[in-house]
Amino acid sequence: MDMHTSNLPWLSLLMLLLLTGAGLTALAPARKARWVALLTALTALAVTLLIVIGFDSELSGFQFVESKPWIPTLNIHYLLGVDGISLLFLPATSLLFLLVILASWNAIHSLSKLYFALLLLFQAVVIGIFTSLDTVLFFLFWELSLVPLYFLITLWGQGPNRRYAGTKYVLFMMTGGLPLLLAFVILAIQPDGSYIFNYPGLISVIGENRYQTAVFFMLLIGFGVKTPLVPMHTWLPVLALEGHPATLATIVGLKLGAYGILRFVLPLLPETALSYQWLLAGLGIAGVIYGAVAALSQTNLRRLLAYASLSHVGLVVVGLATFTSQGLQGAVFQLLNFTLIASGLFLLTGFLQQRVGSTDIVSLGGVAKSMPLLTSFFLFLGLASMGIPGTSGFPAELLIILSAFKAYIGVGLATLVAMVLGAAYFLNTYRRAFLGPADREAVIDAVDLKNRELLMMVLISLLVLVFGFYPQAILDIIASAESNWRIIVPTGM
Amino acid sequence: MVESLHPWIALLIPTLPLLAAAWIAVGYLFGWNRGETGERETAWVALGAISLSLLLLLVLDGLALSGNAPGQIIVGDWLTIGSIQIHLSFLFDRLVLVMATLVAFISLLVTRFSVNYLHREAGFQRFFLVLSLFNAAMLLIVTAGSAVFTFFGWELAGVSSYLLIGYAWHRNTATANATRAFVTNRIGDAGFVLALVFSLIWLGSVEWSEIPTVVNDKAIPTLEIGLIIGGFLLAALAKSAQLPFSSWVTRALEGPTPSSTIFYGALMIHAGVYLMLRMEPLLTMVPALMIMLLMIGLLTSLYAWLAGLVQSDIKTSLMFATLTQVGLMLVWIGLGWFDLALLHLVVHAIWRSWQFLSSPSYMQQVQQPAKPAPAWLRKHPRLYTAAMQRFWLDDLSDWLLVKPTRALAHEAQLFDEQVVDRLIGIPSHANMLSTLSRLEASKQGLFTVANEVGKGRGLFGFIFEWLAEAMQWLEDRLVLPSDGGALMKLVNYLGRHLEKIDHLLAQPRYLLLIIMATIMVVL
Repeated sequence: MDMHTSNLPWLSLLMLLLLTGAGLTALAPARKARWVALLTALTALAVTLLIVIGFDSELSGFQFVESKPWIPTLNIHYLLGVDGISLLFLPATSLLFLLVILASWNAIHSLSKLYFALLLLFQAVVIGIFTSLDTVLFFLFWELSLVPLYFLITLWGQGPNRRYAGTKYVLFMMTGGLPLLLAFVILAIQPDGSYIFNYPGLISVIGENRYQTAVFFMLLIGFGVKTPLVPMHTWLPVLALEGHPATLATIVGLKLGAYGILRFVLPLLPETALSYQWLLAGLGIAGVIYGAVAALSQTNLRRLLAYASLSHVGLVVVGLATFTSQGLQGAVFQLLNFTLIASGLFLLTGFLQQRVGSTDIVSLGGVAKSMPLLTSFFLFLGLASMGIPGTSGFPAELLIILSAFKAYIGVGLATLVAMVLGAAYFLNTYRRAFLGPADREAVIDAVDLKNRELLMMVLISLLVLVFGFYPQAILDIIASAESNWRIIVPTGM
Repeated sequence: MVESLHPWIALLIPTLPLLAAAWIAVGYLFGWNRGETGERETAWVALGAISLSLLLLLVLDGLALSGNAPGQIIVGDWLTIGSIQIHLSFLFDRLVLVMATLVAFISLLVTRFSVNYLHREAGFQRFFLVLSLFNAAMLLIVTAGSAVFTFFGWELAGVSSYLLIGYAWHRNTATANATRAFVTNRIGDAGFVLALVFSLIWLGSVEWSEIPTVVNDKAIPTLEIGLIIGGFLLAALAKSAQLPFSSWVTRALEGPTPSSTIFYGALMIHAGVYLMLRMEPLLTMVPALMIMLLMIGLLTSLYAWLAGLVQSDIKTSLMFATLTQVGLMLVWIGLGWFDLALLHLVVHAIWRSWQFLSSPSYMQQVQQPAKPAPAWLRKHPRLYTAAMQRFWLDDLSDWLLVKPTRALAHEAQLFDEQVVDRLIGIPSHANMLSTLSRLEASKQGLFTVANEVGKGRGLFGFIFEWLAEAMQWLEDRLVLPSDGGALMKLVNYLGRHLEKIDHLLAQPRYLLLIIMATIMVVL
């Protein structure tokens, strides 16, 4: 596999920038902290955009590769790099964290320095997850992400049970981490007694491991907990209700588990994955339907979005499980979409929570009267999450449905059922929360989106529209990883 | 010279109203067209856009009359992936030019009419925004060269009609009806997507002008053609409010009178008919579907005619009259008289828009009360009641779809909390002595930590707890009377829940669910 280095260690610099920013934020005077954080996030976004510009989608393999021996005796490297699959997650992540910092601007009342520092730390770790090409390094970042998240949930959560939710989340993820580590270790041990932890090396010895089935299931559990796949999703609705909406936007926006399946399960264990294709597709479609049905009876916007997210990520897994280039590209596209759409919706509920003090539909109703702009943007992003043509959700969804029909007609039909259910659960709850007569004082007195919030929503909406009308920009970059995929995954067409 | 301008003209026709909508939205965001002072500008932008679209269409009409119809125009690529290529293209053949000119003309009339009708309404800008979106959507449905872009328009029309029906968003009936109409339409949209996907898989093309030739060249089996048309048919039936989807259209009357009604009366309801006209070359290959179309059209006409006889308000009776006519159009298509259907469509759309537009002043023009239902109908009380109740279509769909889905949703929620969470659940907090007061209490003997090994949650927790208990029991050398409490409890517990599950499974929705799941697995 080709490895292209570049003139500067851009990826390490990016992480270093974020870590320095986090340190400075923690040290800065309380009133300046958020400005430091904002500046760091802006610079990070600029750097990631430079990386995207510098990326050559004509080349195959990994680019911006950095390699340093880390633990030579075990053949473990500090190995970073991006390809067409992971590249676009960098700007998406940077944009997401920028938005989250902006959304938290006035919403954090205690320990705000620590809050913004932890956010930047979390961003650095996420960048690490997306760029590391050594399984040990990846695992390190993977587990490290729990630290900032635990504190973000328990310290600034908004529900009375936030500590329980935080503990539950961390315990779930730790439980998932165990099989993950075991799987990586088993994968690394070669028949001749040597170790391979680096990703390109593992790709080159595909199919030589004797415990592929066991490794497959361990990876599936490890990543499935985070995705989340049904029935390992129960942390998500709890978290949605207890955590801070801005934090949730990062958790729901970044579907790291699905990325893990995409990056490790399918390329490293192609034959096993193919023989358990029915399982992957089944888990995916179960999530799609289960999430959509459960979302129908939710009475809280945030729980609704949690179940909706379960349904959407299920669709991504269906796309992955088809092993066709349309399905894979649609899945990556959809993951990128949801860093914008799902997190945008969560941020809007955060704005609502900040104004009204609740996202429960019994204490809402008639929001459109006092907050027409918030109501309009919520509807727009909701429509985008349904995959209405014109928004970026449509090309992604069309590709996934198309590939689902190619793989299993039954699964394809089920995605169509979910399409109808998606409209039903979203619009029904939307109607009860945002429309109708306004009779709560908190709702009537609330102010509409302020300029800062408006700017964020306009930005998200514009991007959603642009990629809806011009999806090829995204697909071309994803397709540059196609040449790798063709070798490693026995694709259809 | 003119040739090179074609892509621009084609692109501008549906885009102009879209740009108008965007302009109004931006103006509203920045606050320069809000309130009564902004009405003039808003109206001019909306009117100007649709007038220009009409003008451009008239130019194309002129070209067509002189024998230079542009035909298919490919503006660019929208999506290329693997062997699949979807163009951004337009098609201007005879059918399209007739339909598009009609659409633009009626849209212009309605927009002009609404300027006065909505004067000083609070949602003036919002209305014109949605109206412009709708105009763009209808123009796109008609002029798009590929099924994918027709679907763009199709959905945009659905969204804008949702917004128009829910125009009075503070009234619960309006928003409930809007939601109902959209979700019903979404079933049709699912059919549309199905047709798109099958066309892409089997034909490899979604260009309207290419589909017939591909079907002939590749000798596609009739079953596959039937499935493709079946998807489009479902979409057409939902959009044109034919049986069994008829009930949404009377709910759509919640929109502001009459500017939104006209869409259901004169434009959008004909979209389904247009789609079927578009399918002409394929439809003729599958006679079975044409017969089905004929039957559905006939039944809808009959249904709407009977229900229309007993209506007492003008909008509803006009709506049912429209349904009758649209049903008849489908009958013509079913009989293979495509030209007649098109002619009927054009005449009906113009006539009906005039009627709808004059309906608000109708009450002043006509002094006498509404005519009672005809005598023969009153002689058949059952039929009369059925007509009054609109043949219980709404209740039927409530009973068959909405209620079971709601119940299922409720149970899914319970299942999630009671079963999945407990099964996967984590150990409960190890906080038996979490507070100082408890520590104090335990010192004084007021609070005792249960003498068991530990408390577990979830299946694993339960297993471990039980295991630990069993060990302790062994260690006590069976001194204590063996009550086997944990196991008995488990058995009892399971028994109770199995009974519940059994009870639930006996209900039809679960039976259906199981059947659906089986079908999924088999396929």
